[in-house]
Amino acid sequence: MSVRRLDPHAERARRNRLHPRHLEFARPAWRWTSADGVTRINPHALGAIGPNGIKRIDRSGASVEAAAGGTQASAEPSRRQVTIDTPTAYVAVVPELPEGRLSDHDRDLLGLARQLAEARGGAETGVAVVAVTFQAEVAGLEEAGADRRIDLSSQVDADSYAPEARLAALAAVETALAPAHWIFADDFPGGGDLGRRLAARLALAGDAAARAARAATRVWQFADGQTLSRAGDRQDIQRDVARVLLALPECAEPVSDTRHAATLLDLDASAGDASAAPGVIDRGRVAVDPQQIPLAQAPFILSAGRGVSDWEGYHHAAKVLGASEGASRVAVDDGYMPRARQVGATGTFVSASCYVAVGISGAVQHLQGITKCQRVVAINSDPSCDMVKRADFAIIGDGDAVLAAVCSQLGQPQPQPESGDSRHEEVRHDAA
Amino acid sequence: MTQPERSASAAGEARVVALVSSGRHPVSGRAGRAREDARAVEMGLALAGASLHLAHAGDAEDAALPEYLGMFHGLEGAGGPGELSLLPMAAGDDAVPLLANWLEAYGANLVLTGQRAECGEGSGLLPYLLAERLGWAVATGVAAIEHYAGDRVTVLQALPQGQRRRLEVRLPCLLCVDGVAPMPRQSAFGPSRRGRVEAVANVTAEPDTLQAAWQWQPARARPKRLKVVKSTNARDRFKAAAAKSSASGGQVLTDLSPEEAAEKLIDYLRRERILTAPSGE
Amino acid sequence: MLQTLLPILIFAALAVGAAGAVRRIRLWRQGRRTPMRWHRLVLMPKRYLNDLHHVVARDKAIAHTHVATAGGFVAAMALALVVHGFGWRNPILGGLLLAASLCMFIGALAVNRRRIDPPAKLSKGPWQRLSKSLLAYSVGMFLVSLPLVGVAPTVLGGGVLALILLALVAWGLAEMLIGMGWGGPMKHAFAGTFHLAFHRRPERFDDQHRDVAHDVHRGSRSTALFPLDLTAKTLGVEKPADFQWEQLLGFDACVQCGRCQNVCPAYAAGQPLNPKKLIQDMVVGMAGGSDARYAGSGYPGIEVGKHHGGPTDAIVPQLVEAQTLWACTTCRACVEECPMMIEHVDAIVDMRRFITLERGETPEKGAAAIDNLIATDNPGGLDNASRLDWAADLDIPRIQQRPEGVDVLLWLGDGAFDMRNQRTLRSLVKILRAAEVDFAVLGDEERDSGDVARRLGDEATFQRLAERNIATLSRYRFQRIVTADPHSFHVLGREYGAFGGDYVVKHHSTFIAELFDAGRLSVKAAEPGETVTYHDPCYLGRYNGEFAAPRQVLAALGVEVAEMERSGYRSRCCGGGGGAALSDVPGKARIPDMRMEDVRETGATTVAVACPQCTAMLEGVVEPRPQVKDLAELVAAALAEPAAAPTARNSTEAPEEVPA
Repeated sequence: MSVRRLDPHAERARRNRLHPRHLEFARPAWRWTSADGVTRINPHALGAIGPNGIKRIDRSGASVEAAAGGTQASAEPSRRQVTIDTPTAYVAVVPELPEGRLSDHDRDLLGLARQLAEARGGAETGVAVVAVTFQAEVAGLEEAGADRRIDLSSQVDADSYAPEARLAALAAVETALAPAHWIFADDFPGGGDLGRRLAARLALAGDAAARAARAATRVWQFADGQTLSRAGDRQDIQRDVARVLLALPECAEPVSDTRHAATLLDLDASAGDASAAPGVIDRGRVAVDPQQIPLAQAPFILSAGRGVSDWEGYHHAAKVLGASEGASRVAVDDGYMPRARQVGATGTFVSASCYVAVGISGAVQHLQGITKCQRVVAINSDPSCDMVKRADFAIIGDGDAVLAAVCSQLGQPQPQPESGDSRHEEVRHDAA
Repeated sequence: MTQPERSASAAGEARVVALVSSGRHPVSGRAGRAREDARAVEMGLALAGASLHLAHAGDAEDAALPEYLGMFHGLEGAGGPGELSLLPMAAGDDAVPLLANWLEAYGANLVLTGQRAECGEGSGLLPYLLAERLGWAVATGVAAIEHYAGDRVTVLQALPQGQRRRLEVRLPCLLCVDGVAPMPRQSAFGPSRRGRVEAVANVTAEPDTLQAAWQWQPARARPKRLKVVKSTNARDRFKAAAAKSSASGGQVLTDLSPEEAAEKLIDYLRRERILTAPSGE
Repeated sequence: MLQTLLPILIFAALAVGAAGAVRRIRLWRQGRRTPMRWHRLVLMPKRYLNDLHHVVARDKAIAHTHVATAGGFVAAMALALVVHGFGWRNPILGGLLLAASLCMFIGALAVNRRRIDPPAKLSKGPWQRLSKSLLAYSVGMFLVSLPLVGVAPTVLGGGVLALILLALVAWGLAEMLIGMGWGGPMKHAFAGTFHLAFHRRPERFDDQHRDVAHDVHRGSRSTALFPLDLTAKTLGVEKPADFQWEQLLGFDACVQCGRCQNVCPAYAAGQPLNPKKLIQDMVVGMAGGSDARYAGSGYPGIEVGKHHGGPTDAIVPQLVEAQTLWACTTCRACVEECPMMIEHVDAIVDMRRFITLERGETPEKGAAAIDNLIATDNPGGLDNASRLDWAADLDIPRIQQRPEGVDVLLWLGDGAFDMRNQRTLRSLVKILRAAEVDFAVLGDEERDSGDVARRLGDEATFQRLAERNIATLSRYRFQRIVTADPHSFHVLGREYGAFGGDYVVKHHSTFIAELFDAGRLSVKAAEPGETVTYHDPCYLGRYNGEFAAPRQVLAALGVEVAEMERSGYRSRCCGGGGGAALSDVPGKARIPDMRMEDVRETGATTVAVACPQCTAMLEGVVEPRPQVKDLAELVAAALAEPAAAPTARNSTEAPEEVPA
């Protein structure tokens, strides 16, 4: 917390309207926070004389803030630091960490863990949230609400799928800490798989009490000391909090007003040696033909619209980039692309991590179809079109020419179909 | 769809079982084939043909059972009628011990099932509990079986965004089939009529005591999360509530030659790890 | 010499032909047996002279040709048997024989002229030879019989000339008698005779039926599909021997005239279906062998000669590709046109039944529709409770609130889920209100009638839907059912009877025509200048004989109707029937596009339709095109606005009975 310091000179000048430097100090003070933490606004210091000679107060504050030079720009409210010195109990969270980062779902899980910890007494009684990760150096655990962290990356390879080794590592954590709750993301084949494995292990290997604690799956709410899980046929199960929880996205609000220590817990790394031969062995990723991936699931889409005229070049570019092909409604109506490839509210809703729109102006329906895309790149000759406004990265220019240049810069210009690096000549597997 | 390879010996002695459950239509709630279980049966038929055996723990009158048996058509060889072993139990009973004992007695080698049932608890725990009890391997998210021979089965696991991972699973094992697996074949009336449902004798189901403490209620619509902006001043909160979504606009590059534009684009895609950086091979 | 050789020739031909005939009958009897009703043989002449001739006479020239040739032959053969066979050389009989031969000769000349440059619909091969054989027989018989009346010298009795004459007669006898039994072109006469006698749908020849009176047909429109016994050993037809024997007999009666091929919409669209070839393939399957000897047009896009079959071999795909069966729109144009009264649609649905019920190989979208029907009672997989969502503001009375019963039960059909058809239904409700008809709907208790499931071959789902609908209907009281969907109309009215559901069902065009007749509807004068044409839906027209009512309605509106060349019983299908829109077999053209071309030829600006399926198909044709309006929409738009708003409250009072 920053200490609030007062400049007596400035204070004096602000109070004295006749002070020659009054305006200089007074102007930014149209709004301040009093000692009680209440926001105070000085209406006299606000507003500007309009063209009709009448004083106008712009409550949006835009003009004043612009004048004030943004010194008061909305800083995020400071978080309260929470520290637990000697935890008495643990709530364990196993975040998914896609691409090595905390996802929104992970933050929700940690938020749920905090709620469970609070329900058991919270920091006062020493209930700590511990994040169990299979990756080192995960950023943001402090803000997300982890009091402790356990790094199992030394025991399990983070990149390969070795559920049994992971389970052994988690079992070691269970022996060491005996967390009150385990929280996983109910997401196949990640936490949903691992969590169920752990639940099965606990249910069958543990004592009678542990056996009785069947995992709660698809948990989507925690309220009044009970969780709600979505069951099979449009039903919810309300039950006491289970030992193992597999929670859906948005199961709880992420932590927003506290900050935690996320101290590294060192456990004996002795456990977790795979005693038996693993039953499941990861043989690596399989190259998938991007055109075989259903459009709704495709991670990388090169989408074409009215602005594309060189369709051969476009198909080639999609091949070179390894992108799935998409199209605007116009391109489909004109017969250049099949109906199954249409993106938008009247076609397919896509959720690509990267969506490249070539020559698509961005009709409302089309933009509705790409709301879930993480990154949107637009290539368009019209800088004022909606797609450029929506894009995270936009290039103003002719789509055909840019695509052709991309292909040649990647070493595969279109006229030479036989060229191509080995990456693209792997046997593609049918994903359908 | 590619036919999985299998060695003759493995297929000959292999006992492939598909565990099926009663599905619920998402609109009408009527009983029928479950989405994922039907895909599991399809996978089993492609692998083992008419020798695939079905098993179900529950009600003999369930409308879903004939529908699964109706899938036994278009198979190589004799293509006899489908057979389903029924382990009679009530809705509130525990299926795990029943199925575990039956699978062991039957000598199943490869068990296919969906990831999650569409009725009842629908927790998706059953395959894991079975595997833990039997000491078998279990793999989830299976999209295809590539190779089935000897003591291993090679499968493709579905990952998000249409990606696939190859797994080698030790037999005997349970495979949980994902919804992206090949479409199940049509269930035909003729084969469903001929299919045999055989109730397994001498099984006594134990009631599932754990469920007794639970309260079942009709599913409520999940509240849509509001974007709550925690800010101390009203203006920021107002702005956040009233702002048009993501009209922020990103980087706009104008007046570039196609070559420059291509360079910038490739840079951007590499920065965002969409394109792999050129490897120094 | 002639007098010794001729009887030998005739009796030898008769004997060989009879042996062939026995073999042929054995082939037919490979099919599933039904109780024999020999007395039906008596019905044959009437059926031939009356009903069959009625169909043939749509082409007058052919009818006359056939009368001359066939009549001449039958007479000449009978007389020749008496005169030459049994040697009763009566000059009068001889004269008659000469006259018959002459008559046949004239007919054969006409046949021959048609065969010089035969139209594409005709088969060639043996059929080209037949015209020559007819000439040979008639000329030979004429000349051989001349001595009987003493015109020619008895010199004819010897020498080369006699040998030539004998050869001519032998050729003719071989073609006529031996070919009849052993499968030559003349087989049609033999098989056709029995086919007419043992036809599977005797109602088609019934003059005392209770179908619509103003139909062009004499017989009943017996168009309901036969129910399938779901407990039978095999379901549907897998191999030719699975057909009923009457069906096999019917296939054998085909004369390969190609009328069916000419009217088949799928054939015209270049889809792999040709009804004539299909029937011939069935004959090939029945007799065993390959289709290489077929000498007519094949299935578009499928080579002739690559398929083979046998009586106990599976038909699909060795003999007929599945695509061929799925291309059929069940429009019955082929059946309507067939002079031999062959039932193509029954055969196609029988084979589809096997594919769907036993093999589970319904085309993908069709299978999805069937799954939806099983799960949600409608082919779209929609929530059945939303069936009345479109009418939320109309306050339509539910029959559940009317235990005392209503006059009209309005059957909505699955068009209730379709936004386009909802406009039609709103118009229909407006009309019913304007005429103060006491009506109600079933609401979410209504299910799909089962039409699509049945045409796709899923008899099990159809029967389940039918039984449930009948159970629902039995709980309510109503005088009649009115529907705007000809498919529901047909199924409810004609096909539910076999499952115990007998209702008075009226298509909305019929009902509106009745309202006009009763003076319960008043309309504004039509705006002049607009030309309207009317597209007959197959399931209303050909299936149920209702051609007049829609035209009466249009006349009552005062619009000018420009008829299309193919209208009425020859109307061309929109391409949406029989699940064809679901199986979506690729062809060269789209059937609705061809139909819209027919519409354009009339110069009409609006095409009036009376079926949700036709509306959807025709509206799918790319603009610019004539606009597509349902009859109900046209009537509703022309309704003279009554002074007082028609309200639902009035309808609860019992209105006066509508004269039927």
